[in-house]
Amino acid sequence: MTSEGSPPATDRGDGTAPRPHEAALDIDTSVAHVARVYDYWLGGKDNFSADRVAGDQAIQAYPDIVYSVRANRAFLARTVRYLAGEAGIRQFLDIGTGIPTANNTHEVAQDVAPGSNVVYVDNDPVVLTHARALLVSGMQGNTNYIDADLRDTGRILAEAALTLDFSRPVAIMLMAILQHIDEAEDPYAIVDSLLAAVPPGSYLAISHPAADIETEAMAQMAERLNKLMAEKVTFRTRPQVARFFEGLDLVKPGMVRVQEWRPASEIEAKSPAALWGGVGRKP
Amino acid sequence: MSAVQPSGEVPGKPAVTEPRGGPTVLRIMLGNQLRRLREAGGITPDEAGYEIRGSRSKISRIEHGRVGFKERDVEDLLTLYGVTDEDLRASMLTLARQANTPGWWAKYNDVLPVWFEPYLGLETAASLIRSFELQFVHGLFQTEDYARAVTILGYGPGAIDEIERRVSVRVRRQAVLTSADPPRVWFVIDEAALRRPIGGRQVMRAQLKHLLEAATLPNVTIQVVPFRRGGHAAAGGSFTILRFAAPDLPDVVYLEHLTSALYLDDRRDVDHYMEVMNRLSAEAHTPVATTRFLKEIIQEI
Repeated sequence: MTSEGSPPATDRGDGTAPRPHEAALDIDTSVAHVARVYDYWLGGKDNFSADRVAGDQAIQAYPDIVYSVRANRAFLARTVRYLAGEAGIRQFLDIGTGIPTANNTHEVAQDVAPGSNVVYVDNDPVVLTHARALLVSGMQGNTNYIDADLRDTGRILAEAALTLDFSRPVAIMLMAILQHIDEAEDPYAIVDSLLAAVPPGSYLAISHPAADIETEAMAQMAERLNKLMAEKVTFRTRPQVARFFEGLDLVKPGMVRVQEWRPASEIEAKSPAALWGGVGRKP
Repeated sequence: MSAVQPSGEVPGKPAVTEPRGGPTVLRIMLGNQLRRLREAGGITPDEAGYEIRGSRSKISRIEHGRVGFKERDVEDLLTLYGVTDEDLRASMLTLARQANTPGWWAKYNDVLPVWFEPYLGLETAASLIRSFELQFVHGLFQTEDYARAVTILGYGPGAIDEIERRVSVRVRRQAVLTSADPPRVWFVIDEAALRRPIGGRQVMRAQLKHLLEAATLPNVTIQVVPFRRGGHAAAGGSFTILRFAAPDLPDVVYLEHLTSALYLDDRRDVDHYMEVMNRLSAEAHTPVATTRFLKEIIQEI
């Protein structure tokens, strides 16, 4: 069903219809944005032309990216299930939320442990739009959203403190986001400052695209994405990702490929995915 | 369209994963499938049209799901496209038969404008309905009295019988909201649509209370754009975006006019409307603030 060439109704024919990017809210869809590219890889429909172009470029370089992102979502769900269950965590700070999909952190956490409080952080206005409307506090616990950049840890911590009690353990979730911080911006210092704000018994969960799995394809993909996306990517090797957990006690099985971290089935364990993942406890 | 099927992959598997009821969506699915098979075979719409004793515009109507399918046409097209796999042929023919089964709204066709019927099919089958309403409360949330008042506004007092049939279509539509597998409904409503006392103050107050109640459904999100936030006028008018669970199906933008409607599914159009919709949602009150706001209006009306 197409319009047969009729102009959309917003076009008043006098050229006065404002274009979306002139709006007060800075939703720029002319450049690929990570949350929307990720949505595209997941098979979602909340993405725009620039996102699909970048997404396809990446798929050409590394076709298994579409399995990688699913394995990453599954890893997120398993870590939250572990943290809310076995580890007894009731507070989550999830930075790099992405566009809400199935099994969001608060849904998994509040399913395992009703009363869990979750604070989401992202800097994509499209994520903000969805989060404001859909991530609503309910009987099951409080859910809040902060529109901020991971680099702005001071603001994140200050605003998160309105929902989370930082005198009690918190799980810090950094799922497939640290690759957007390059060495010059010192991702290790960012993680340290977040960890410094939480008490012993808190947890850090990380997944990170690998530079040393499918090395060539991943390098190709990084190069292509860096030409097209607003946020650049730096993929890291196993030792580089392990450094984020320095000073923490790694939960078994340690830092592994995300699909091998407490998989729910053998099939899940074998899903192709080029990400390192782990969960560490602050002693 | 979907990331799991990178472009260039040979289209093969028919979309037999059934969407929630409705011949309209089945027609679109089958049409999409036929278009991909035709393109994969490098066959022009003219050639395909000739094969089924028609023109390129007949192919266009078929591929856009605007018309029902003759089984013979589907068979001939599949042969032309080189589809010999018996399973694939059989499932596409089954789809064609199902797509010709009338929907629940067929028995109301005497009071329904032709251009509105596809919308009912799409709405019934959607997995996500996003809408911006500038004038009226959306049909999915209208009370009977409010629907009656709106109908009389639109069609004049006319025969009671006809009005009641139109009202019952609106009420019938709402069954989807509380069905076993309801769509996610995310509506942005302009304050004007809530202040204008359609049907009088009492009808309007009841309507607003109904909205408040609807907002408590887990699959329903309602956000009001208050007068003091101005920028949203960019939308120009009410519109609805329908999304379907099947990865193959594009979102459809529905624009209603007095005597016709537009259905847009071109990616550029849909992207544009989606951007406007996102901006409206961002400018609107959050669902929690909306609840407070609705209660205030009820007091004031």
